[in-house]
Amino acid sequence: MTNSTASRAAKRYAAAYDNLSTTTAQAVLRAEELSSAAKALLGVNDLLNAPTVPLTQKQEAVRVALKNWPQVASFVEVLLGAKRYNLLTQIVDDVRALTDQRQGILRAQVVSARSLSEAEKQHTQEVLSARYGQEIKADFQTDPALLGGLKIWCNGELLDGSLQGQLDRLQEELIK
Amino acid sequence: MAIRPEEITKIIKEKIEHFDTSVDVSEVGTVIQVGDGIARVHGLNNVKASELVDFGNGIKGMAMNLEYDNVGCVLMGTDTQVKEGGIVKRTGEVISIPVGAGVIGRVVDPLGRALDGKGEIKTDKNMPLDIVAPGIIDRQPVKQPLQTGIKAIDSMVPIGKGQRELIIGDRQTGKTAIAIDAIINQKNIPENERCICIYVAVGQKQSTVAQVVKTLTDFGAMDYTVVVSATASDPASLLYIAPYAGCAIGEYFMWQGKDVLIVYDDLSKHAQAYRQMSLLLRRPPGREAYPGDVFYLHSRLLERACKLSKENGGGSITALPIIETQANDVSAYIPTNVISITDGQIYLESNLFLSGIKPAVNVGLSVSRVGGSAQRKTMRKVAGTLRIDLSQYQELAGFAQFGSELDKESQRQIARGQRMTELLKQNQYAPLTVGEEVLSLYAGTHGYLDELNVPEVLPYEKQLLAYARTEQKDVLKELNSSNELTEELEKKIVSLLDQFKTVFKAGK
Repeated sequence: MTNSTASRAAKRYAAAYDNLSTTTAQAVLRAEELSSAAKALLGVNDLLNAPTVPLTQKQEAVRVALKNWPQVASFVEVLLGAKRYNLLTQIVDDVRALTDQRQGILRAQVVSARSLSEAEKQHTQEVLSARYGQEIKADFQTDPALLGGLKIWCNGELLDGSLQGQLDRLQEELIK
Repeated sequence: MAIRPEEITKIIKEKIEHFDTSVDVSEVGTVIQVGDGIARVHGLNNVKASELVDFGNGIKGMAMNLEYDNVGCVLMGTDTQVKEGGIVKRTGEVISIPVGAGVIGRVVDPLGRALDGKGEIKTDKNMPLDIVAPGIIDRQPVKQPLQTGIKAIDSMVPIGKGQRELIIGDRQTGKTAIAIDAIINQKNIPENERCICIYVAVGQKQSTVAQVVKTLTDFGAMDYTVVVSATASDPASLLYIAPYAGCAIGEYFMWQGKDVLIVYDDLSKHAQAYRQMSLLLRRPPGREAYPGDVFYLHSRLLERACKLSKENGGGSITALPIIETQANDVSAYIPTNVISITDGQIYLESNLFLSGIKPAVNVGLSVSRVGGSAQRKTMRKVAGTLRIDLSQYQELAGFAQFGSELDKESQRQIARGQRMTELLKQNQYAPLTVGEEVLSLYAGTHGYLDELNVPEVLPYEKQLLAYARTEQKDVLKELNSSNELTEELEKKIVSLLDQFKTVFKAGK
């Protein structure tokens, strides 16, 4: 199975799961449920991926592990039945992307050399939402290798304002 | 020249001072898979087909497949430095190559990087590789001759400026030799009519390319020649773009109103490189595992050969694509494709080659569909009966062993054919001027050779040309320049040949 057919399948399952919800609020709730359920299932991952374990036993394990989220449990059972359980993490990401789309939220990844203060984080998000015209939900990380400045991934773009990036570009320029 | 450290410091300081420190915005994707010179990239949402993308570390790639959730790119370099998860940036550009007078006399790779160790290529213009060919209005019919200096070709399969003439044959039949001779022959042609030559080596051995470059240098042909080289050790992507690179360099000169001769050596390897890329990109295979668009691959390249109209400067690109056949099979996929695209073919045969007929042109199967109208009138008049003579000879050749039992007319035809076949033999790297060609063919078609023994034909020709070059310069000069074989000129030729007859007899 190629990478692309797998991710195509994952997208279809995600779309189906997302279609269960009629309102945005419901969709957000369901997406969160799915993501916490996926985390809860990490413990029994080996069992669920094992080819020798019979399907009924796997389904039983899922029902026990996810007894708080019966709807998610039946979704995972469907995945198990279709032998698509290995796509679960990808499906979680895709479902999140779909709910983001419903809410008009854009995800961003912000990497800085040192950890940012709350005010700085707030300001970064505001600047980004002004740039893209959408609400931004940023994930903040630190990486001392940047030396200074920010590196932001958002909407398929890389905004490189880091010192390290500038030094790299300067190096290229000088070699030319 | 001494390098002054303070000067360098100054330059570096200046560069640092003027360095743009603003935020660098780029559209990016990440590598999800890499191998066999192909990278699959996630992201790059707005990338366009055949856009150049940057993998970092100086490695560039070309976006070939725009799929549902990934982009298939071919790498224009080694894939060892490209890692899974690595960042790929869009450049917003298509591949282009530096063009201009600065590339003449150089050996470059398909990206325009110098390979001859003579320093960076200095030009002020870049041309994209893949351009749509000039349209109908921009062109005019092919009507000027392009002299290859090879008797067999200039007389029977004449090539016109702006034509596409395929050179096809098995390995070791002298395909490259014909192309190289045509390039060397441009030296004999006055500078205002001379073609700028481009030799594109696709998938050749490095040693072969080095040999070609050395030959061209030795004959002084590099003064007007560019060599574009993508050898067998280069990635398939470079082999794929090499002919387009050569064509882009040629197009620049064409639009300057100059005449260009391009040799694509060879397009079978080009098709194989494209097949490799296509299969690795998981495009569906078709006949002989070539992808469905392999015809378009060559047609869009060869369609760019043309003769521009007067309003556009009247420049031209003449293409000599080369195809290597396997066991003389011209009905394989790529040979039939290219035969149907080009305006004729020069068919070389290994058994002719082995029986000592060099160039090993098969007269019956070689044709030129547009060159005839471009042929010089002098040549046309002299060579008019040549083709018929030879085909009649070939028909009768089987009976030749019966010797005297044949009727007189057949014997005459066989004798003529044997001598003409002998006369059309020509050494490599010895192209002739038009005048010389006309003179020796005139001798052949007007019966001057009939009284000689077959082995005497080539010495006769050699001495005749030497005699004409030293004793009868004026006649040769007139033959070289005139376009019409007037009665007066014909008389001069006849008297030259008669005079030489006595010289040759005396010399025996």
